[in-house]
Amino acid sequence: MNKRIAVAIAILCIISGCRPEAKVEHEDPKYLRWVGDIEPNPKIDNPDFKTCYSEEEIFQYFNVGEGPQYSGEKTALLNEFNSKYKGITDNNQNGLIRIRFVVNCKGEAGRFRILQSDFGYNEAEFDQKITSQLLEITKGISKWTILYYDDVPSDYYIYLIFKIKNGHLTEILP
Amino acid sequence: MKYLILLGLLILFFTSPAQINCEAFKYYGDSLKYQACLKTEETEGHYQFSREYQEILDEALAIDSTYDKAYYAKSIAYLKSGDFVTWKKLIDKAVELDPESYLGYRGWCRYQFFRDYEGAIQDIEQLDDLVEYDIGVSKNGTYHLNIAKGLCYKAIGEKDKALDIIEAQIRLNEAENFIGPYDYIHLGVLFLEKSRYQDALEVFEKQSKTNETAENEYYSALAFKALQKNTEYLAAVESAKTLYYAGKKMNDPYSNPLDKIFIAAIEEEHKEALERNANQ
Repeated sequence: MNKRIAVAIAILCIISGCRPEAKVEHEDPKYLRWVGDIEPNPKIDNPDFKTCYSEEEIFQYFNVGEGPQYSGEKTALLNEFNSKYKGITDNNQNGLIRIRFVVNCKGEAGRFRILQSDFGYNEAEFDQKITSQLLEITKGISKWTILYYDDVPSDYYIYLIFKIKNGHLTEILP
Repeated sequence: MKYLILLGLLILFFTSPAQINCEAFKYYGDSLKYQACLKTEETEGHYQFSREYQEILDEALAIDSTYDKAYYAKSIAYLKSGDFVTWKKLIDKAVELDPESYLGYRGWCRYQFFRDYEGAIQDIEQLDDLVEYDIGVSKNGTYHLNIAKGLCYKAIGEKDKALDIIEAQIRLNEAENFIGPYDYIHLGVLFLEKSRYQDALEVFEKQSKTNETAENEYYSALAFKALQKNTEYLAAVESAKTLYYAGKKMNDPYSNPLDKIFIAAIEEEHKEALERNANQ
């Protein structure tokens, strides 16, 4: 009888997933799927922008091993910013601005997010006249390179880093 | 018995790379580092960007907050995603705990990902002052760190210093039969910029033999143009174009190397080379 009870309990445990070291799913995990993932935000994102595949299938631009790719190559990207960005002469505007975003399998971009720091890598805030220009120019680029992962056009993360010295744009990376 | 254990550890050391480091901590009586090391090894199989990877490393640091390798490993995803703020905080901890191991790496990353020329120079020179041995190469193996330092000096306008550093390091590299894939290109471009066209062509010739790229032919073309050798100018540009379309060009999976050339520049020179040859 005791043996039957023990077996019954064991079976009940298996059915109910009763395991001594079951993983606890945190409701608010510290990390997203991957470092750098950008969750959609309907308050600030273009509702027309859609990834082609699931969130789990957004890669990084370097996963295809061909280096940063831009439509028209970096020459075109530099021309775009050099012709449109108007520097503001201000000795207090120095550091790095990163705009990270998603490019989908059709070469469309969305979910733009900004990170700013001084040249000491401490978070900082630039004059909005600078960040808004850079953001608008980036958003205004209608065609980004389509990257193929395992021969399939894919969604990927990419970023641009702008080096700002005294309010002027000196370099764009990568 | 103690000697048998030591012998066993030594055998492990020379036969089993990953676990060996952890055993070394155990042998030297640092049980916290040993535990943190074992925990860090659980990252194997997880993508470095993943939540699981980061959480395991957090657990390692909870065991031993001075385990430098965990800070370094955590930092990598932030570096590659362009998060310079978080990257720097993490890699600074690793450098603080083990400057010899991480100064060169931090310096290289400052250059490769953020074009922080002054910062890269500072790190590489600090490492050089700290150690008596060769400071070694970049993480990706493409450059000796002195070549990277030279490129940084060039970027901040100190071309003569850059030339001296890069020339000196290339001489050492040649003696070791270890030339980086783009060393001669960078030296040649510096010669070009200093109007030393014959010197430039000499090193571009060497580059052709070690690792021919579109950039090499493009810059050779510029040297020929400066020397008014129009036939060679055109030939080099056309060669650059062919190589470019064949994919033989400077490449890095994360960034655009200094002195890299794009097709627009080649096309512009091609147009001019054709005109010059037509007018001869």
